[in-house]
Amino acid sequence: MTCATKRLSDPRSAAGPRGAMRALMLGVAGLALGAGMAHAQDLPFAVGEGDFSWDSYDSFAAEHDLDGQTITVFGPWLSGEKDNFERTLMYFEQATGADVQYSGSDSFEQQILIDAEAGSAPNLAIFPQPGLAADMASRGYLTPLASEDADWVRDNYAAGQSWVDLGTYADADGADQFYGIFYRADLKSLVWYSPENFEDAGYDVPETMEDLKALTEQIAADGETPWCIGLGSGAATGWPATDWVEDMMLRTQSPDDYDAWVTNEMPFDDPKVIAAIEEFGWFARNEDFVNGGAGAVASTDFRDSPAGLFEFPPQCYMHRQASFVPAFFPEGTVVGEDIDFFYLPSYAGQDLGKPVLGAGTVVGMTNESDGARVFLDWLKTPIAHELWMAQGAFLTAHSGVNTDTYIDDTSRRMGDIMLNADTFRFDASDLMPGAIGAGAFWTGMVDYAGGAEAEAVAGQIQSTWDSLK
Amino acid sequence: MSQLFVAAFTMVAGVFGCVAYFYISNLILDTALPPRGAQAGRNINRANAIRPWLFLFPAIFVLGVYLVYPVFNSVWLSLHDKTGNRWVGTDNYIWMLNDSEFRESFLNNIMWLIVVPAASTFFGLIAAALTDRIRWGNFAKSLIFMPMAISFVGASVIWKFVYDYRGADQEQIGLLNAVVVGLGGDPAAWITVPFWNNLFLMMILIWIQTGFAMVILSAALRGIPEETIEAAILDGASPLQIFTKIKVPQIWGTIAVVWTTITILVLKVFDIVLAMTNGQWGSQVLANLMFDWMFRGADYGRASTVALVIMVMVIPIMVWNIRNARKELG
Repeated sequence: MTCATKRLSDPRSAAGPRGAMRALMLGVAGLALGAGMAHAQDLPFAVGEGDFSWDSYDSFAAEHDLDGQTITVFGPWLSGEKDNFERTLMYFEQATGADVQYSGSDSFEQQILIDAEAGSAPNLAIFPQPGLAADMASRGYLTPLASEDADWVRDNYAAGQSWVDLGTYADADGADQFYGIFYRADLKSLVWYSPENFEDAGYDVPETMEDLKALTEQIAADGETPWCIGLGSGAATGWPATDWVEDMMLRTQSPDDYDAWVTNEMPFDDPKVIAAIEEFGWFARNEDFVNGGAGAVASTDFRDSPAGLFEFPPQCYMHRQASFVPAFFPEGTVVGEDIDFFYLPSYAGQDLGKPVLGAGTVVGMTNESDGARVFLDWLKTPIAHELWMAQGAFLTAHSGVNTDTYIDDTSRRMGDIMLNADTFRFDASDLMPGAIGAGAFWTGMVDYAGGAEAEAVAGQIQSTWDSLK
Repeated sequence: MSQLFVAAFTMVAGVFGCVAYFYISNLILDTALPPRGAQAGRNINRANAIRPWLFLFPAIFVLGVYLVYPVFNSVWLSLHDKTGNRWVGTDNYIWMLNDSEFRESFLNNIMWLIVVPAASTFFGLIAAALTDRIRWGNFAKSLIFMPMAISFVGASVIWKFVYDYRGADQEQIGLLNAVVVGLGGDPAAWITVPFWNNLFLMMILIWIQTGFAMVILSAALRGIPEETIEAAILDGASPLQIFTKIKVPQIWGTIAVVWTTITILVLKVFDIVLAMTNGQWGSQVLANLMFDWMFRGADYGRASTVALVIMVMVIPIMVWNIRNARKELG
């Protein structure tokens, strides 16, 4: 679930002299822009240089002029992510002359609703959860986009139809409309490990789920701890377990079953779902499989839990977490050397291909304006994506981007997984109604990790869902 | 920068606006009903009858808009569906009575209501009595009072470290677990232990509120007439007897006010639960449940229904509290 991305704050850029310096320089650059004295050297990447698709920038700049207009954007990104996003905004501002004011909040979900209610919504909102955007749309707080926009996404995003579906919600009258373009995606189906530790112990990266389970048992038999799992996330405690269950669902059931589960056509206490929960339990509820024992799973903070990978001797060998997690690794960690990832494999015994679980942020219009529409057009240009790809911690399904602009091989490998997935499915908890996906599901998983029966928690979640109907 | 100007402007406009309102409305009243001429007497009487309402109007208006109207709106919303548009009658109330999470929050709230005010007042009273006549009493008092200055969320963060749990084979960074391990026990993930975790969360509020109770009760203790204590000493009462039979009965009213004030605060408890457990592991409370339905479930109907329960619970205590405070003054 993307709650994590929203809370994701890069501690290295927030603190420390280098981060402060960068923030200061950025502030100065912002001031200079505000005063209308933008110089090319203020921009982190010089226009026209490198692998970027500058032609898309040039043609965009030629087509649009928003001199003197202000566009307000509200989103979940803070500190490091905010800086990265604002650096891409500098190019938009230079291309169009508009002034974009971005503000971020770590209680975005609550705040956007309050702002919309109060009639003080920003022009554009960046939703970390499509479910929230759908809710806003059903209340008439979102402006639908043109059907050409939907066609564009269908043609230009990998697995385009699924992204269109994810941006299509019922409006206040119940009619389906296309509301948002996805900008920035996360990959969830990743297992992080230390290649050095694997090598020392003689373990191989598993290619199938059967191998992964065998490896887990092997490590435990060797007297070591295979997994680090932490479900703690303050007020959002429990979400990491929902990702596990979703990944297990995709690896044991068909995508159609997954979709039926998301919409509750298949009840939450269906044996298929209970089986997926128990697949997660196979890993998390075994005293010998998790660092600190099964009792520590629910209370360990997800930000602290990967730390066990880096200790000596290692507290654990594997950690399943989305692509954003390097932000919580110790300072100086080099992904690809000190730590690496492999795709959470699927069962060889099941014919389900290589399913990928992911998430993303969708940009919707909460307060219509010409500038806001132009900004949405900007998000269609490859350059808008590449500028953040080159700064790191950004993946996209936009198939028109030059993947050479990814900051490193790691991101490129993740980007490739996203562009080549057999099945791409969005984080189910983000698609379910808020009371389930950000409520009962979390509570159920916390209870399950604490020893409750899978059947009982699934029944409890379903009864909450029933009460919503 | 512009925010500063706006803030400054609001302050100036607010202060002068208020002064202007009272001055001008008074002026208009005096012009409309001049206290002279043929009907001076009648005019003065009428003006005096109108004037209080004129002056009270801003306060009544603001209270009405921000307190009374929301109450009626909540009642209205509680009878509607989640968007607040479709009438559903008592569906939300029926849902509430059948919801296990609501029952859990309700019982937890009752427990909070009993434990926190009792413990805070008790510890506050002890602290006030013990620090009353010793040299470093004021120093001790400021230490005990200090948590009052910390926000609930800030306090929660501090206590999160106190309750922090690491696997048994790791070094405990949580104070409580470090103590337990130091004494030879097994560490535990305290905030995940059902039922007891409620008490661990209450501890935070007690820690904050003891200072408040202490300050008020300490002032009350100082206000006790010296003669009564002298008389008790002459009659040979022991210090404990003086405290329980002479001092406490005389400040009983203040104790009640402190108790009820904390009770009202406890009914609103939300930040601590949200920051520590978000109601997981059986520690849900009504205010957090309301927040969950309002902002996670986006369900105005159910959130308002829960809000009304909190209000209904708080009213009797509030009435009693105000009556008591009045009696104290009177």
